[in-house]
Formats: sequence, structure tokens, C-alpha cells
Amino acid sequence: MLLHYLDLSWRSFKRTPLVSFLMVLAIAIGIGITMTSLSVYHMMSADPIAHKSSQLYAVQLQVMDDGHTWWTSDNLPLQLTYQDAANLYKSEIGGQRLKMVRSGFSVYIDSDTVKPFSQSARLTTPEFFNMFDLEFLYGEKWSLQQEENAAPVVVISEELNNKLFAGENSVGKIIYLDDASYEVVGVTRNWPLTIKYYDLNNGSFNDPEQLFMPFSLLEAKQLGNWGNTNGWKHEDVRSFSAKLQSEMVWIQFWVELTNEQQKNDYENYLLAYMQEQQKFGRFNRKELAYSIRDVNKWMAYNNVVSQDNKILVALSFMFLAVCLANILGLLLAKFLRRAPEVGVRRALGASKRQIFMQHIIEVAMLGLLGGLLGIVLAQFGLLGVRQSYSYYESLATMDLTMLLSAPLIAISTCIIAGLYPAWLVCKTNPAIYLKSQ
Amino acid sequence: MMLEIKPIFHALCRSKVGALLLLIQIAITTAIVSNAAFIIQDRITYLNQDKGYPEDEILAFHVMHFGKDVKSHQQFELDEAMLRALPAVKDAAYINNIPLSGSGSSSDFSINSAPEPGLSARTAYFFTDDHAIKTLGVELIAGRNFREDEVVVTNDNDQRANVTIVTQALLNELFPDEDGLGKTIFLGDIPMKVIGVIKHAKGPWLKDSRPNNVALIPYINPNISGNFLVRTAANERANIAKRIEDEMLENYNKRVIIRVRGLDQDKAQYMAEDTLMMRMLIVLITILVLVTALGIFGLTLFNINKRTKQIGTRRALGARKSAIVNYFLVENVLICSAGLFLGAIAALLLGQLLMKHFSIAVLPPSYIAVTAIMVFTMSILAVFGPAKRAANISPSIATRTI
Amino acid sequence: MLKMNNISKVYQTEMVQTHALRDFNLHVDEGEFIAVTGPSGSGKTTFLNIAGMLEPFSAGEYLLDGIDVGKLNDNQRADVRNQKIGFIFQGFNLIPDLNLYENIEVPLRYRGIKTAERKRRIEKCLEQVGLASRAKHLPQQLSGGQQQRVAIARALAGEPRFLLADEPTGNLDSLMARQVMELLEQINRDGATIVMVTHDAELARRAPRNIQVVDGQLADFTLYQGAQNLKNVAGA
Repeated sequence: MLLHYLDLSWRSFKRTPLVSFLMVLAIAIGIGITMTSLSVYHMMSADPIAHKSSQLYAVQLQVMDDGHTWWTSDNLPLQLTYQDAANLYKSEIGGQRLKMVRSGFSVYIDSDTVKPFSQSARLTTPEFFNMFDLEFLYGEKWSLQQEENAAPVVVISEELNNKLFAGENSVGKIIYLDDASYEVVGVTRNWPLTIKYYDLNNGSFNDPEQLFMPFSLLEAKQLGNWGNTNGWKHEDVRSFSAKLQSEMVWIQFWVELTNEQQKNDYENYLLAYMQEQQKFGRFNRKELAYSIRDVNKWMAYNNVVSQDNKILVALSFMFLAVCLANILGLLLAKFLRRAPEVGVRRALGASKRQIFMQHIIEVAMLGLLGGLLGIVLAQFGLLGVRQSYSYYESLATMDLTMLLSAPLIAISTCIIAGLYPAWLVCKTNPAIYLKSQ
Repeated sequence: MMLEIKPIFHALCRSKVGALLLLIQIAITTAIVSNAAFIIQDRITYLNQDKGYPEDEILAFHVMHFGKDVKSHQQFELDEAMLRALPAVKDAAYINNIPLSGSGSSSDFSINSAPEPGLSARTAYFFTDDHAIKTLGVELIAGRNFREDEVVVTNDNDQRANVTIVTQALLNELFPDEDGLGKTIFLGDIPMKVIGVIKHAKGPWLKDSRPNNVALIPYINPNISGNFLVRTAANERANIAKRIEDEMLENYNKRVIIRVRGLDQDKAQYMAEDTLMMRMLIVLITILVLVTALGIFGLTLFNINKRTKQIGTRRALGARKSAIVNYFLVENVLICSAGLFLGAIAALLLGQLLMKHFSIAVLPPSYIAVTAIMVFTMSILAVFGPAKRAANISPSIATRTI
Repeated sequence: MLKMNNISKVYQTEMVQTHALRDFNLHVDEGEFIAVTGPSGSGKTTFLNIAGMLEPFSAGEYLLDGIDVGKLNDNQRADVRNQKIGFIFQGFNLIPDLNLYENIEVPLRYRGIKTAERKRRIEKCLEQVGLASRAKHLPQQLSGGQQQRVAIARALAGEPRFLLADEPTGNLDSLMARQVMELLEQINRDGATIVMVTHDAELARRAPRNIQVVDGQLADFTLYQGAQNLKNVAGA
């Protein structure tokens, strides 16, 4: 019966090609626009590490004295002080944890073909690779011992490895960063990240760093911060060591907490830690505050999906409603004009339900065609978005979910639009149309 | 000309569906277009704001030294001199951050030395030298430029500059009732005398809470990395850009020259998302208006088809062609007016929603009014063609028995 | 009152020329009640359309109440239709979205008659056809016979010079048909001129004067005036 209805639908389209085309076009345009903004929204809000995103937490402490506010919605700074990060790192509570900061260097090797260039780097404790699921192509991460000793070692990305060493196993080779030499101990596989969720401070959609080094090198070599440094207190910070001791926040901290119990324990620990620090005159507040946010909450808190995106998605759906109204009108016209034929069918024994199904199938087919055409239109839309700025390269695309959603949304929209006309046409009294000629 | 408003209205009430659909479309379109137009206007204003610099004449680039033998004190001076000597270069300056780039430093500048409380204002500051004014192309409306001897060049973190040139906006905030020129302001506990006032300049972040508060401080702490600004004539800039890396490396080659770009390119990148939003909104409302116009056109055609017999009868009963056209126009005006009324309310509600959730300013009623007029006009235009077609239906249709 | 001289109507399609009316001559005096009959395809409908100025004619002269119809432009034709002719259609042609009052009002509004005067006329005509109590009802709520009576009221409300009826009982059962015919006869007795096109011979016999259209030309059978049977005679 379904095939029969599909056949009927196709014939119906052919009979009124202009109207049918207009309807398909209306849906396609609505879907095209909606999917363009929806796809960008989807990629921006997609969970980057779904299997453990609810176990990785970014830690925030309200380190300012009373009377100071922050620009965030809950007045908590986005980063920790150097001392707090160091202390939290040493604690025995909680699962794996890391502290890190973004830096950068001039990079060069002993080669005539590769010119020196500048590259950003991530100074981090070695848990980074486990916690964020980076895989190694060659070698491995540095050991905790090497971390403690501020060993001059480095892990480079596959892309950097291709650039410097033509992709071969470069473990053991030397690269120069600024004025010092470092040994490559590992090469990580390509890390296809759309959103740099682990550090959203300097561009949520930029590519991740290609160089990773022990965090301890920060102090050992007095390396520069390529991230944000924010201060709330008037302090005389003129030397590097003064900066390390100061109340300025510039270090990122993540901890892994695998279950509810561990989470509660950690939260209690943070409170206790701050209370203890108050004895040293820090955290001069009546009420202590902290926050641990898992990956998705962290991205929402940092407004990764900008307000503009949300507005566009909302407006797109409203636009789809207008297309829906348009289609409803066209469907009414089309179905009611066919009322005489329906009269004949009913006289020949079709039940109301069968008439209804016939028309709903036709409407669904309309939706399918419109949805498919809509995908094509959306591709043009996304192409336009990608032209506007390079960081949309991976954001303005349709992944499998979006590709499947397009016809789904189209078909549902059309079915909703078609319910009333279909109901109208199947409740008409066949006798009326059989009589008048 | 006769307006049969009452019977047309009654007829509409009795076959509501078509009219309702159109009404809804018009209402939604009005609501969306009003708000979208407002957002677009807001973005255009933002994108076209006067930054204070001749952006198409200025180049910026970053230098990172890795050579251990670099004499940083002298190197930057040698570089500046070399750059200034290039043909078509008007001036060049060493600077720690680049305006409009999205990256920089800011702090609270106060009228009192910290930790004393006092009126303070968030200010973006740049460490640069006496060539900055000319390189940036900003206008000094009071006071003077730095003298060469006022520029502090040092690696000693304890040495500081004690003069500054700031924007009028900053002085308006710190000294609202008096002339700020000559006064001393404090960065933390460092005092600096205001010796010059810039008419208008923007800092690194256009979206900052105080984008117009800028301070230039004559302080150079040359270390391994820094930035240069070069000012040329707009049509020479591309040529100079190509030469810079080679010239700089020729001066000293154990360094990396990074991101030679125009100031306007930086600005474009920073504004990329707003530009995109604006473009998408324009596309959205254009298509929306077209779709609604098509909807009106199509629905009117359908109505005419449905009422062919009726139109023929009216003609037979003595309606002139103009009366038939009027009928459809009046019908359309009735629906459109109702739709616009609902649409205006919807626009206000949508505006409130956007204001609450997305920190957009309140929608001025003028946008609703202009949108309504535009939608109304478009609606009349869309119905006119089909209405004229209807008028050509022959009265002899009335006697046909089909 | 109505004079058609040598009226011709030619329909031109791509290859074919159809002469629907050929040298058609007719005179109708005031107060006459004429039935026009003829086989299907004979040109009855074309005659009707031309008489009612619903279609232009190809050649000849048509004088209605002294007005030379051929010299009128479209707007003038519409005005004359409105003022001089009352139409009664086979399919009633009432406008379904308007109630009875509003349906009768349609031609009156086109003439620009003021509200109060319109009200007077409509109420009078509804009274005349016996449907005054149902003024606010919609056409689909009435029987066929009642709908036709409303159509007659609509035709009368403009106080036309003559009524042009196209198969007025064609869609009615015999009882209702008889009622409508009686109404028409009454109206004619009251002084209205009626030209009625019908294929029902029984009905035609009730009209004092009969005309037959055959192959686009007129044959006049004046049954009750004792005139001779003549074929293809130019109007008297």
C-alpha cells in the first residue's frame, strides 16, 4: 500500500509541477537556512570528548578578597594562581589532575631547509595526555620524574613532526626553542579538535598547540605566558619569582573525578583548602566560593556558543515556521482542488483513514525532497560561512547527525503542515463532488 | 472608488483558514524583520566605528629573537632606523601590543596612587616610544609628543617612565570637570604626568567595556620579543609588507618575523563573527520577505481560482474591472493590517526576549513602523498582479454551467 | 425596449471559425415575457450573453433602452448592466461567504446606493420572494428553490428595465420549479419585462411569446397572438 501511495504522490507532483516545485522550494529554503545556523550551533556545542566529558572538571577558586568582583557570571576567576595550582596538584584527593599554561617559542632545528618559525606551546604536567585522550605515534609522554626535574624534553604533534622531520620517528632528535635545546620524547597523533575546550582563554576554535613540555620548565627557565594574566590586587610584581608568588591568576587546572563520591570529596577538600589558606591572610572573604565544572558545563559557562549563534538558530526556526505557513496554504489549495477525485475514491470504497494516509504520504514525500534539496542549499550557506573566517573551517560543516536531521526536520515540518489539509480533504462528503459537474 | 469593507470582512470571517495563514506569515515576518534590522544596524554602527587610526596605512608585525648574542637595547633602534629609511615609509615604532588586534594589556588608571582609593578608569596601555604618535596617525589636540629623552629604555624592572599621552575619553572619565592636561595619573603606584592628549583612539579590544581609554607610555623593555608598527602610504603598503621579513632578517637573522599584516586585517579578524552575523541576518530577512511576498502572491492566485465563478457573477451584476481589483486590494489590506498589528506586538515581545537573554538593547518602535510600512507595500505589490488578472475574468463565466 | 439588428458572433480559435450567431434580429417591447428555446449548441447561451452584455458581439447593432451598446466601453457596459438588467442564473450564483442580505446588496453597492436606501430595497425584495425572515442566513443553509428565490430578489432589487433569466428552473425539482415560474409570472404582471432562456418546452409554453434559436438564427413562434408559423423571419 505504501508503494502505491508513493506512486500516487509522484503522479500528483507531476500533475501540478509548478505548485509542487514551489512547495519543495519553500521547504528547501527553510531547511537550508535552518540547517546552516543549526550546523554551526551543533558543532560549537558538540561534546568534544563524550565518553568522559562528565568526569573531567575545570577548577575555579574565588581567590579575591571581599569587595572584588570578576567579569564572569558568578564572579569566579577562570584560572588559578601559581601557588594554588601547585598546592592542588600535590593533594591526595581526587583522581588524575594537571596544571598547565600556554607559552610559545621560536622553533628551529639544525637544517638548511626548515626556516625558524614561531609556535605556541603548552607547558603541562604529563597527565594531560591521558586525561584528554591523546594518542602517541612514536615514543611516549615524559615521566613524573622528568617533570619533577624540569627535564628539557618535548612532545611534538604529528603535524609538527611532518614539518620538521618529514614524518619519521623523531624520538631522540633535538629541536631548539628560543635559546635552548630540547629532546623529542614523543610524537602525538593528529588531534582533531573542533573546540579547544581545555583552554578557552585565547580563542575557543583555534587549533590545539603542537608542542608540549613539562610544566616545571615554566619556573626553571622563566618562560613567558602566551595566555591571559589577570590581577585583582595591587601588588608590586617586578620579577618572575614575584609573579609566581602573587595573587595573579594565569594557570589552568583540571581534575578527573569518576564518581559522585569522589566529586563530593573533592569539593569538601577545596573548601578545606581555602579555609586553611585563610590563615595565611589569603581568601580574605566572609563566604568562600569555588566551582568545578565538567567539560560541557565549562564550555557553556565560557559562552563557547556565542549569543549571536543562539539568536540565529532561534530566528531560523521562526523562519521555518513562515515556510510552514506558506506550505500549509499551498497544500490546502492543492488538496481541495482534488476534492472531486477524492469523492470518487471514497465512493469506490476508500476509508477516511486511507485517504488521510495517502495525503500524509504525499506530504512526507514533499518533505523528503525538500529536505534533500535543503541539504544542498545548506552546503552553500555553510560555504559562505567558512569564507568569513578561517576558524569556521571545521565548525561550518554538516556531520552525520545534521545530515540525517535535515530530512527528518523537513518531513516532520511538512507532516505537521499537512495534517490540517489532509484531515479537511478526507472528511469531505463524497456525494457533493459526485453530483455537480 | 468604493470600499466594500464590511461584506469583505464578513466573507473573510467565514472562510478563515487562508486569511489566517497569511496573517500569521505577515506577523512573524514583521517581528523577525524589525528585530533583525535593529541588530544589523547595531552591528553596522559597531563595524563602521571610527577607530582613530588610518588603518590601511599601518602595518604590524611581531619579532621573536632566539639568537643569544642579540643586543636588544640597540637592536630595536637599528630596526626602527632601517624601517624608517625604507622608501615610502613615513614612520615606524616599536610597541608592546598592537591596537585593534584583540591582544594587549589593560589596567585601572587612577587619580591617586595605589593603595589609596580614588576615581579610576580601566585603560588599555601601550609601551612604545616617541615615534608612536606619527606611526599610529592619531591626532594630538593638546600638549605635545614625547621627547626622545623621555623614553625610558631599560631591562631594569624597577625603572619606570613618568610621563604619558592619553586619549580625551580617559581624561573625561578621570577629570570630568577640569582639564586633564598636566595632571598626574597613577598606574598602580607609578605616577605619570599627562603631557599630551589624543583626540580619539581605540585600544586592542573593540568589545572592551572602555574601548576608548588608551594610554601611551614611553617605556621600552626590549627582550626577546616585541612588535613593530610601520606607517606607509596606503598604496605602498603591500610592497613594503613583502620586503619587511627580508630586511629585518638582513639586519639580524637569529630571529623570526611573524604575522606581517595590516591593521585593518587584524580588525577584520576580530570583527569576523559580527560581520558574519550581520551577513546572515541580511540574507535571512531578504529571503523571508521574498517568501512572504510569494506566499501572498500564491494565496491570492489560489483565492482567485477558487472564486472564479463569483468574480464572473460580480462582473455580470455590474462590477467594473476596477471594483474587482479593489475587492482583492481591500481584502489584502484588511488581512495585512491585522497581521501587522499582531506583528508589531510580536516584534515587541521578541525584542523583550532578545533583550533579556542576549543583552541586546531595547527595540526602538521606529524599526517596527518602518518594517510595517515595507511589509504593507510589498503585500500590496504582491497582490496587485493577481488582482488585475482577476479583473480580466469575463462576465460570461456566470452563465457557464460547470 | 431591446432591439438587436443583424447581430453576429464569431468565435475564432486557431484554425476554426465558429459562427455562434448569424444575422440575429430581435425586438422586445416593454412588459413582454419571452421564452427563448432551442436545441443545445444552437446559440441560446451566446444570445443570452450578448443580450446581457456579458460578451461583446462581432457585428451588428444592439440598442438597449435607446442606448447603443456597441459604442460603450467596458466600464460603461458594467454600469448599464448594473442599472438596466437583472440576472437570474441557472446555478443561482449566490456568493457562498455572504449571507442573503449581503448577496442582494452586491449590485446595489456597485451602483453607489446609500445604506438606508439599500436596506429599504433589500427588505422589500426579500419580502416579495417570501424570505424576509432568513436575511442573515448563508446560501448553503437554504434549499435550491429558496436560493433561486434569493437570486430573483437580487435581480429585482436594482429595479432593472428587464430580467434576463438563464434556465431559472433547471436545477430545481418540479414543485419548486412551479413556484419559481409563478413568481416570475407575478413579477411580469407587475410590469417587469422578462427574457427567459430555457430548454423545457413545458415551461416555455407558459410564456406569452416564444422564440426559437436554431443554428445561430432566430425563429419566432408567437403562440398566443395568432401569428403564422414563420421560419427565419427577421424580427417583427
